[in-house]
Amino acid sequence: MALGKKQMALLYHNLVRADHFDKMMMNRIMQGKLLGFYHPGDGAMAAGVGASTFLGENDILNPHHRAHGMGYHVGRGTDIGRYLAEHTGKVDGCCGGRSSFHWSFPEQKVYGASGFIGWHFCPVVGWGWASKQKGEQMVLMASGDGSYGQGAAHEAMLFAMNWKLPIVFFCENNGMAIHSTAADMHPMPDISSLAQGYGMPAVVVDGQDVFAVAETVIAARKHALAGKGPTFVEAKTLRLREHDVGTPDLARAEPREAKYLEALKQRDPVVLATRRVLDEKVLTQKQIDQIYQEAKEEVARVEQFADDSPVAQPSIEELQAGVYA
Amino acid sequence: MSETRELPLVEAIQEAYRLEMERDQSVIMVGQDIAGGIFPHTKGLVEQFGTDRIVDTPLAEIGMYGTAFGAAMEGYRPIVDFMFAGFFLNAASPILAQTAQFRFIHGSQMSLPMVITGACGAGMRLGNEHAMLVHNMIAQVPGIKVCMPSTPYDAKGLMLAAIRDPNPVAFIWHLGTMMDRGPVPEGDYEVPLGVAEVKREGSDVTLVANGFQYKNAVAVADKLAGDISVEIVDPRSISPLDIDTILRSLEKTNRLVIVDESWDSRSTASQIAAEVVDVGFDLLDAPVKRVCIPDIPLPGGHMEPYVAPNPDAIEAAVRDVCR
Repeated sequence: MALGKKQMALLYHNLVRADHFDKMMMNRIMQGKLLGFYHPGDGAMAAGVGASTFLGENDILNPHHRAHGMGYHVGRGTDIGRYLAEHTGKVDGCCGGRSSFHWSFPEQKVYGASGFIGWHFCPVVGWGWASKQKGEQMVLMASGDGSYGQGAAHEAMLFAMNWKLPIVFFCENNGMAIHSTAADMHPMPDISSLAQGYGMPAVVVDGQDVFAVAETVIAARKHALAGKGPTFVEAKTLRLREHDVGTPDLARAEPREAKYLEALKQRDPVVLATRRVLDEKVLTQKQIDQIYQEAKEEVARVEQFADDSPVAQPSIEELQAGVYA
Repeated sequence: MSETRELPLVEAIQEAYRLEMERDQSVIMVGQDIAGGIFPHTKGLVEQFGTDRIVDTPLAEIGMYGTAFGAAMEGYRPIVDFMFAGFFLNAASPILAQTAQFRFIHGSQMSLPMVITGACGAGMRLGNEHAMLVHNMIAQVPGIKVCMPSTPYDAKGLMLAAIRDPNPVAFIWHLGTMMDRGPVPEGDYEVPLGVAEVKREGSDVTLVANGFQYKNAVAVADKLAGDISVEIVDPRSISPLDIDTILRSLEKTNRLVIVDESWDSRSTASQIAAEVVDVGFDLLDAPVKRVCIPDIPLPGGHMEPYVAPNPDAIEAAVRDVCR
C-alpha cells in the first residue's frame, strides 16, 4: 500500500536525523570522543530508518551493527543521548557504561547488541516464538550480508518457517563485509535466495529508497501479524566508506576505486528522498530547511548531554552486585 | 510438606517440572525429543501441558537454545534440555558469551530466568561426547549458576530453586544417579542454590563429593568406618560455591580430599583447594588432595572405570591425608 504524505514526512524527518547522528559519530571517533569502533553508515542510512519507523511498540527490534544501529534507533525512538553516553562510557549511558557500544533498551524491546556478528540468529527464534504466543507483536531482525555466513542463520530460518514465526529477516546487503565482497563470500547474488530452501517469501528492495523500504516492511509485518510466518527482506544498499573509521578501505586486498565510490555517492538516500518529497509536494523547501536546523540542534543537545555526564567507574563491589539478579 | 516417598532421581526432577509448570504458566520446556521422553524425566509432560509448553525442536542446538533465550527476554521462564549436557557446547557461544554475561554488560536491566539442563557422566560407556562433564566449563563464567544433585531429594529441591531463580542456572545431572531411589517429599520445597550440605558426619577427614561421586564417597566412608571417620560434604552447587560449609567441616577434621568428576586442572576441586589454602591455611594438618579425571580426554570403551574418579582412588587419597 502506498504511503501517505504524513508517513513520508516522518520518514524523511527520521532519515535526516539519522544521517546527522551518523555524521556526528564519524566526527567524534576522529576527534577521539567515542569509545571503541565506529562503523559508519554514511550513504546507507535509509534501510534502517525505513524498516523501523512504523513498527508497533510491542514489536521486538534487533538493529543492524552498521552505523551502530543508528537508523533503527532513530526509527524506534530510543534515547540517543543515553545511547551516546553509553558509547562514551558515561554514567548516564543506557547500560551504565558497561557495554561500550553494545547498547540495549529492553523497555523498548531493543534487547541488545553483541560483538559477535550474527549472535541474534539465536535469540530471534525465542523472540519470534514468544511473539507468536502473545500475538499482536512481531520481530524485525536486521543484519548484513556478512552475517548470513553464520551457520546459526540457517537454524533461525529453519525454526522461523517451521513454526511460522512472525519475524522479518531484514538483510542490508551492502556487498561488503570488512574487506570481503559478498560476491566472493556468497554463491548467489541475492542473499534472499537462501529463503527459497525454507519456502519463505522473499523480497528484494532498493535500500537507498527509504519509502520503498518502509512499504516493503509494512507489508511483511502485516503478513507476520496475520500468522502467515516470516518474510526475508533484502535491502540492496552500499558502503560508501571503510568498514570502520581508521581501517583501510579495501576490497579483497586492493583499495576500492575512487571512480566506483564516486558513483555510489550519486545514490545518497537523503538526496534521493529530498527530490521525492519536493517533487510530490510532501514538504516545502522551507520545511526541509527547518528539519535540517532541528537535526543540527538535536545533535548539539545529545552531545552536550553525553559530554556533561561523568565517566562511569564504579567500584569492583558495585560491579559485583550487578552480575546476578 | 506432606508425605515422603521413595522415588528415582529422574522422577524427582519430573515432579519439580510438574509442580512448577502447574503453578507458573510462564514456565516452558524446550528440547529435542522431550515430548516422547528420550529420558524419563520428561515422559508424559506433553499430555498434561501440550505442545505450546513442551516444545520439541529440530536437531539444531543454537535454534533450540535460542527459543529459550529469546523467550526468557520476553518474560517466560524456559527450561532448555540439552539431553546430554555435553551437547551444550553446540550452543556454547550464546550461553557463555551472551546469556551469562548479558545482564551485567547491559547495565543489570534484564534478568534471564532460565534453566539449562542435561545429563552426563562416566560409567555408561557412552563415549566422550555423551559422557563429558561440563559443569566446570560453565561455572568459569560469572553470571550463570551451576548445580548438580546427588540425591533425589536434592534433585527436586534444586530444580525448583533453579526454575524460580531470576538468573540462568545450569542444572547438570549424572547418568549414574538417574535411577537412584531416595526419599522425596510430596509438594513444594526448595534446596537453595549456593548452599552445601554435610551429608555424613565424621571427625578425621572432610571428603567433598557431588553427583555420582557422592555415592563413591559413601562407599569409601562405609568401608573405612571404624578405622577412619569420614565427613562427607556435598557442595550441591558449584557456582556459587559454598566454601564456608567446607571450612566449618575442616575446623573439625583438618584434612581435605575433594572429588570432582572433571579434569584435574582448573576444576571445582582446584578452586576449593585454592580457596581453602587462602582463607583456611591454618586449619590444615595435611596437604589437600584432589581426585579428578587426569588431564586427558575422557575415553569411552572399557577405560572409564579407572580414568574417572573411583572408590579405590578416593580411598587412596583419604588414607594418604590421614597417615
